[in-house]
Amino acid sequence: MADAAQLSTSLRRGTLEFCVLAMVEHEDRYGNEIVRRFGEEPNLAASEGTIYPLLSRLRRAGLMDTKWAESPTGPPRRYYGLTPAGRSALDHFRTEWVSFRQTVDRLVGTGEAA
Amino acid sequence: MNTKQNDVVAEYLHEVDLRLSGLPVLQRRELLADLAAHVATERTERNIRTEGELIEILERLGAPDVVAAAAYQEAGSYPPPPPTTVRAKRPGWLLPAGIGAAVLIVLVLVLCGFSFFFQTSSSRPSPAEPARMPATVEPVQPR
Repeated sequence: MADAAQLSTSLRRGTLEFCVLAMVEHEDRYGNEIVRRFGEEPNLAASEGTIYPLLSRLRRAGLMDTKWAESPTGPPRRYYGLTPAGRSALDHFRTEWVSFRQTVDRLVGTGEAA
Repeated sequence: MNTKQNDVVAEYLHEVDLRLSGLPVLQRRELLADLAAHVATERTERNIRTEGELIEILERLGAPDVVAAAAYQEAGSYPPPPPTTVRAKRPGWLLPAGIGAAVLIVLVLVLCGFSFFFQTSSSRPSPAEPARMPATVEPVQPR
């Protein structure tokens, strides 16, 4: 069981941040939206509170920018959006990911069957 | 009731804050502000009324240890939080203590073995010694 958890942690590492970048690619989203979206994906599910340190790192790395905005219904929301650097990082990941995935599929034998 | 709910949130944020002492102050404040905003937004958007529902929101955020661990991981090469250091100390003294206990046990066993050996080897000769028979002295016959 520990191995299964370890595997999903390892797979998440290095891919999760690009899922986040893709999430704000077309429109800015606030923290709760991003966190909720993750909650809908069992494979990516982690404690919601661990998403915020990741968002912080992506912001500090210059891949996302943030702005606080008033909400019509409640407290102010912090919106996250993609920077030009974030966009090119996402484009680069997409290229890398396709060839990486093809290689793994070929070696592991998951290509045609899946 | 509202005050009590605020207490629950404040306590949670405080517990997280306690574990972030190794982080740069701005990252620490940012995370706490993000978590506080998350809870505040959930409360209004999900129309949270009871303390139970509020605790569910906090549980989904994750245990303070888990959130703090993620913060350190994303921050990179910063020192681990004090609670982890304290916990790491335990095996630190447990190991020498274990070795000490093992050495002591071996020592006692060896001593017991020795004393047993000496006891048996020193007591063996006595039963092995031939019992002295009373000398039979022939009575001198008077002529």
